[in-house]
Amino acid sequence: MTQSFFEWMQGLSFSAWMLEETWASPIIQCMHLVALVAFAGAVLVVDMRLIGRGLIKTPLNQLARELDRWMIWSFVALFVTGAPQVLSTALKQYYSPFFWWKMQIIVIGLLFTFTIRRRVAFAEEGTLGHWPKVVGVLSIGIWTSVSVWARLIGLLS
Amino acid sequence: MRSLFEWVDALPSSIALRESLNAYPTMLTVHVVSMCLFAGLIAYWDMRLVGLTLKKVPVSNIPTRLFPWALTGYGINLITGGLLLYSQPMRYYDNFYFWAKMALMVVAGINMFWFHYATYKSVQAWDQGREIPMNARLAGVVSLVLWAAVVVTGRMMAYAGLMPEWWNNLNIGA
Repeated sequence: MTQSFFEWMQGLSFSAWMLEETWASPIIQCMHLVALVAFAGAVLVVDMRLIGRGLIKTPLNQLARELDRWMIWSFVALFVTGAPQVLSTALKQYYSPFFWWKMQIIVIGLLFTFTIRRRVAFAEEGTLGHWPKVVGVLSIGIWTSVSVWARLIGLLS
Repeated sequence: MRSLFEWVDALPSSIALRESLNAYPTMLTVHVVSMCLFAGLIAYWDMRLVGLTLKKVPVSNIPTRLFPWALTGYGINLITGGLLLYSQPMRYYDNFYFWAKMALMVVAGINMFWFHYATYKSVQAWDQGREIPMNARLAGVVSLVLWAAVVVTGRMMAYAGLMPEWWNNLNIGA
């Protein structure tokens, strides 16, 4: 079932176009990397603040609110530029364990970011004890592992 | 220059690094993660200067509080980038995007020093306010464009077949 879905994606005329068009993949990969930098920065500034580093003179919830839309829109850009790459190399992705680890951790990361991390980052400071530090470290760990698995798909698959 | 690259290419440690199964994936992965740390933080500093985000954060807070982290990322990035070059110098010698990336990094560095030693000296006058001087905004835009171009040329280094025609005509690799 899953394999046939990936075979279907690989067989799409869009996937063939992506592979045949010389500049399509490089341009999309470059855009994906620029979006990654924007996403990483938005996440990091808040995560560092959660663990008591970085912009500590700025209230945490103010920082989190201001960078929220940058984080969301850069993630949207990551998805929009990542999907064509998955479509055009669907079977390579399907057989790569790193792709599946990346996808699983992205789901965990999104759930974590929009539930626990959001609640902690938007809460009144000083009311949650050590939890902000734990949440900050977990968030950095989750998103770092996503970029590690992503890089390894291309290198070791 | 070519003889220097060839000399490094023939060094036993360069060959050992090149032939190691794990070295290249490890170095490249650490290179990408450290790029996220460095470029991610610098991007939001630049966007603060341009006035796109973090408008309530005093400008002087960012270099003080975020630059040590950004510089740590940059240091790791330089080390891993240097090792990648050391392991395969002849792969990069005739690569247009490699030289473009190096040139862009130099220009980005000049822009950073220019901003630090000229425009930033008057930061106390515009630190808290929302009105950033035009010179500082310009430095922010130039920095954003340059570092984005560094990221793009870095990615393009993998596409040896997509060099500009005029570069191929120089026949540097021959």
